[in-house]
Amino acid sequence: MIYLDSAATTMEKPASVPSATAWAMTHMASPGRGGHGAGMRAADTLYALRETAAQLFDVPNPEQVVLTYNATHALNLAIHALVRPGHTVLISGYEHNAVTRPLCARGDLTIRVAQAPVFDQAGMLAAFEEELRRGVDVVVCTHVSNVFGFIMPIGELARMCRERGVPLIVDASQSAGCLPVRLSEWGAAYVAMPGHKGLYGPQGTGLLLCGEEQPAPLLYGGTGSESQNQTMPDVLPDRLEAGTQNVSGAAGLLAGLRFVRCKGVDRIGAYEECLSGQLMDGLEQVPGVRVFRGPKGTQTGVCSITVEGMDCEEVGSWLARRGIAVRAGLHCAPLAHKTAGTLDTGTVRLSCSAFNTSQQVRRAAGAIAHLARCQGKGR
Amino acid sequence: MVYDLIVCRSLTYAQRGVRLLERAGISAYLVRAPRLIARAGCAYCIKVSQRWLERAVELMREAKLVPRGIYQQLEDGSYEEVSV
Repeated sequence: MIYLDSAATTMEKPASVPSATAWAMTHMASPGRGGHGAGMRAADTLYALRETAAQLFDVPNPEQVVLTYNATHALNLAIHALVRPGHTVLISGYEHNAVTRPLCARGDLTIRVAQAPVFDQAGMLAAFEEELRRGVDVVVCTHVSNVFGFIMPIGELARMCRERGVPLIVDASQSAGCLPVRLSEWGAAYVAMPGHKGLYGPQGTGLLLCGEEQPAPLLYGGTGSESQNQTMPDVLPDRLEAGTQNVSGAAGLLAGLRFVRCKGVDRIGAYEECLSGQLMDGLEQVPGVRVFRGPKGTQTGVCSITVEGMDCEEVGSWLARRGIAVRAGLHCAPLAHKTAGTLDTGTVRLSCSAFNTSQQVRRAAGAIAHLARCQGKGR
Repeated sequence: MVYDLIVCRSLTYAQRGVRLLERAGISAYLVRAPRLIARAGCAYCIKVSQRWLERAVELMREAKLVPRGIYQQLEDGSYEEVSV
């Protein structure tokens, strides 16, 4: 199989990830719940994970790294912690449902959207600036669009938020592992990320990087600390980590983080962008294929296409039958499709990881070209 | 050798404290806090030699790892709170 759906989950992992996960399942007990060896091994693993993540993502202290089940969980925690009834929340026009649904579910908020055409970073900044001038309470913005790979000018946006004293939540689901993610430098209130995408961890893992805010818990329960108190501890990470953590997942995620650190975020990002560039070079030559491609520096290793006269799901299924795994549809981001004008058609998304090869993307481009030519002849 | 116990606000704080002290050349051990000194319930503490206690607490405070309490175990098994 040629796997080009890493924006959903990186399926090929470094060998250390499954072995660390499997080992933890039979050698690690509950962290923070006992003083025995198996419990302390689990605790050491979780601490090493926090410490490694803190180094990689510019977090001052390991306790500011909270373990979550995925980025959606992390985003829900961040939104719950910051957004109050009556608040005006500003988001980009490229947000995933993991951001828009928790906000819409509140029903007591004003949600404003900063809009700009896909890959127009200057336009996006101008739109944010205008909305910020009108006054907002919280900004939530993705670092990279999961549909188009569009890189948001997050550093500049963070600076604008800091200047106005507006807390910023960053969804780093598509950037963690392939672009620099800098909690302190950005001065962000929270940065959310999954473990199973660019960090090469197992599914069911995620991280919430916490800034200076004192967050309100979303879940209540045992933490292994201050057990006599019927309120949640007021220190991180305990405050946001009720219940036993996914220790085997955390062990796998730690192995994934070490892989990313060893390879280098910049190198991984450049490699994926290079592969995606080769793919788009090939597809742009094919009549009937529309490629959503941005200028250099505005797109990661994720690209979306449409094939004229074909439903995107049909394209995805055709490729799947030929052993090429891609993702078709709206990618849980209808707002991004609405902004880009693809809400009615959806797109076919192809996304690379550090384990893809040039040969694989050439074969995928060739298969899509063949499909588009056959489709063209049929019209 | 007499040891003191520095009770921490959380397991993660205690882990960070142990690493901090080890980096400074102070032998430190992470242990469960005895029930008598755990205060609000379950807790973890850092066990250090009494001769290093003052320096250990100073380093921890510098790193904003404020202890929940500091105790010395007496010969009869009881604990006495120590102020540093």
